[in-house]
Amino acid sequence: MKQLTIYVTAVLIALLLIPALVIAEDGAAKQRDLSIWLGGHTTEFTDYSKKVGEYDKGEDEVMPEFMLNYFMKNGNRMMSLNGHFYDDENIDARYKLTIGNKFKAKIDFGSLVAQKGRDILENIGAKKGPKMLSHELLDEDADYKTKRTDIEGDYQLLLSKTNNIRLLAAHRSTIETGHEQKISTGHCANCHLVARDLEIDRQTHTVEAGIAGEAGKFDLAYLFGFRTFKSDADDAMNHYDLARHPTKTDANGDYVVSAGEFGPRLVYDDSTLPYGVYPETEKMSHKLKVKGDVGKGRFAGAISISQAKNKKTNLTTDVVSGAANYAVLLNPKTRLITKLNMSQVQADDAVIDLPTFREGTSAGPQIDFDYTFYSSLDRMKAGLTAEVIRKVNPKLTASLKAGYSMVDRDDYPVVEDGTKTSQLFGQLKLRYRKGLKYSSNIKYRFESISDPFVSARGLFEARARDDMTYTIPGFPFYFYHEREAYRYQDIITLPTQSHDIEWSSNWRPNSKVGINLGLKAGFDKNSDLDSLDVKQSSLQPSLSINYSPTSKISLTTGVSYTQYDSRGPVTVALFDG
Amino acid sequence: MIRSVSGNRERKGVVLKLLLATLVVCLTIGVSVSAEVENSVCADCHTELSEIFHNSVHGIAFSGDMNLEKASCESCHGSAVDHANEGDPALIINPANQDQFGAKELCLSCHKDHSFDDWAFSSHNAADVTCADCHQVHGQAGVETKSTTELCYDCHGDVRAAMHLPSAHPVSEGKMSCQSCHDPHGGTTKFSLEADSRELCFTCHAGKEGPFAFEHAPVNEDCMICHSPHGSVVDNLLIQSEPTLCLNCHPMHFHTAGIADEATDFVIPGHPDRTLNSSADSFKTGMLTKCTQCHTMVHGTDNPSQEISNGGQGLTR
Repeated sequence: MKQLTIYVTAVLIALLLIPALVIAEDGAAKQRDLSIWLGGHTTEFTDYSKKVGEYDKGEDEVMPEFMLNYFMKNGNRMMSLNGHFYDDENIDARYKLTIGNKFKAKIDFGSLVAQKGRDILENIGAKKGPKMLSHELLDEDADYKTKRTDIEGDYQLLLSKTNNIRLLAAHRSTIETGHEQKISTGHCANCHLVARDLEIDRQTHTVEAGIAGEAGKFDLAYLFGFRTFKSDADDAMNHYDLARHPTKTDANGDYVVSAGEFGPRLVYDDSTLPYGVYPETEKMSHKLKVKGDVGKGRFAGAISISQAKNKKTNLTTDVVSGAANYAVLLNPKTRLITKLNMSQVQADDAVIDLPTFREGTSAGPQIDFDYTFYSSLDRMKAGLTAEVIRKVNPKLTASLKAGYSMVDRDDYPVVEDGTKTSQLFGQLKLRYRKGLKYSSNIKYRFESISDPFVSARGLFEARARDDMTYTIPGFPFYFYHEREAYRYQDIITLPTQSHDIEWSSNWRPNSKVGINLGLKAGFDKNSDLDSLDVKQSSLQPSLSINYSPTSKISLTTGVSYTQYDSRGPVTVALFDG
Repeated sequence: MIRSVSGNRERKGVVLKLLLATLVVCLTIGVSVSAEVENSVCADCHTELSEIFHNSVHGIAFSGDMNLEKASCESCHGSAVDHANEGDPALIINPANQDQFGAKELCLSCHKDHSFDDWAFSSHNAADVTCADCHQVHGQAGVETKSTTELCYDCHGDVRAAMHLPSAHPVSEGKMSCQSCHDPHGGTTKFSLEADSRELCFTCHAGKEGPFAFEHAPVNEDCMICHSPHGSVVDNLLIQSEPTLCLNCHPMHFHTAGIADEATDFVIPGHPDRTLNSSADSFKTGMLTKCTQCHTMVHGTDNPSQEISNGGQGLTR
């Protein structure tokens, strides 16, 4: 498939080159520019290269580098080709063709390598009595990296000048190859991690097609989109040992296998099974856009529906969303912008069929853990903002913005008893500008959030609840799964109040020099918890100076400082298991 | 038809606006503008501009068959009669100095491409950023005053800093640009993103979208709960390092509180050739170093984890 994608793209480029070649051969081309740049680069890392150079492999010898820029114009037909060869895994190219307003094409090719470190798992190695935490590295010589290749095209064809009817098409293919570390976790007599080197072969393909035109004073556009994702690499396989309960040691202190009780606590054991498996998904969308002048203002609206499907499990997620935006000049010095959006998400719930806990054993209760996993995606979202922009005088602009948004979750964190997060915000911004010589902005923003997102498997704030009376009939002890049901589900580290202030200043003493100074500070807090405060603060001053003696040379130097402080609760080990 | 700009300072602002509005109307309805002052007259003084202009995007467009062949300097600058006579910069329209209610409308009268449909709602528009703040109208090298990313950094200095942190998207390497995620001319979404943040991330990271049988709720909520898209000191653009990030929502394993055996060697059952060493804090380092060593499928999975009692929701497989 990936070879096919490359071939199809190559053919597309060749076909698109034909008209360009034609206009090149007729001798009427009014302008042609070709520039070729030859050079080289070398990079040497003195630190762990994959840490300091994720996207740069680093070469200890000079590597050739090559750039090509070609531009051709004949009347209203223009073509350009730009290419950059950094190394065989870092190549970029762009082809653009414009034939007046009749046809436009743009094709981009790009590749890069992202290097990933290898987890050597050295922190894993613990023993307390018979309980162990151990690991096994099967990938000691592996070189982990992902080569990502993107091929993207965007096309527009004018079908009719009447009503400006255009056909729109786009495609994008992302191919990821390389190797990755896959760690599996087996929990039986001990917790055992195994790391393997596995091949990457992931593909994402997206196509879009649509039609746009004018109907009266409105511009209408319809877009259809389809995206697929899959992995063609072999599944990672792991053997999960026969589960054993490590309760006995022999005379030498080594553990010996006890009665086979542990297995019935697990979904699977004594099996070789895939792990770390990528889904195979597809997503289809339809979008209708409407834009135009309404009254004295400008309107833009959109409605879209989409469905994402997991082809391995047949689970689907459906989204319906809409947006309406309106901007109007209230008077020659005042502008109003309003934005409204709404969306509804409905996701399939998964029925989880599990073996009976302790089935076939005499010790302890037998419990049926089958359940339905209600998706946390089911929700309604809405948002409304309004911004008034006032030209105070020719050099000073002030804007005041306010908004409300909410997320109403159906089944999260508790089934059929979801949460509704509401957010109110206000923002004041001033901008001073003196032509292109000098400009300065200052902005203050305040947010108030009620019931922020909370983890369903959340934190304990207190040691336990007094009303913990849930027990398994006939069994006197609390199990960890019982205690989990009694976790507080309203303990969070997200803020309920947020203050942000930004200032930036841009000075261009002449056309070749630019100086920028900025400061950004933020303070977030959540004091709604019973006994804990969450506080986060940040401070980011920055300065940069740019000097461009010619249009081909630009020198930039800058310094930025970031300070980030965070104080929030983390839980301690509290429950037995 | 564009008339001359009055030299009367008191009336200049009103006249300028009238002229600008007239120009916009003329261009909007497709009326060719006849030059009152020939381009060659402008070139007499503005030598450098005139030399590079023909290679600029505007110069190329004006010289071709794009219904702009009759355009002149005055198409954007209004009548140059008084300015040419007296040489006073105040006597001619400089779109770069116009406010948001002027200059952008002038540019958009020709730039009707649908890329600019959302400009009326753009946060850049609301912030009084004009076309000339970013675009070099007469420039030879390109339309922007400099590379797109550097241009954005001018006002967004904190982003420049973030992009140079150890973990970042490959923007500094030129493999992405700010426009890969943001639409500087758009504005119907937060931060002028090309799509809502979650939807946008899945454009490139489609394998993380699902739907999955076993979800991780923050993935469904907002990628930014765990990730800092512009850069981080932590791998994978995480906002905090593990395990702190995870412990913001999840309790520790009970093993963490356990003190391991005193420093001893032990053999892994089933692997007699492998000997590990345990110290008093071994369980702490094992359980509190990196949660994703075991919980590898943090974005969701279709395969259950091993324990029945947690419903297979451990995201370990």
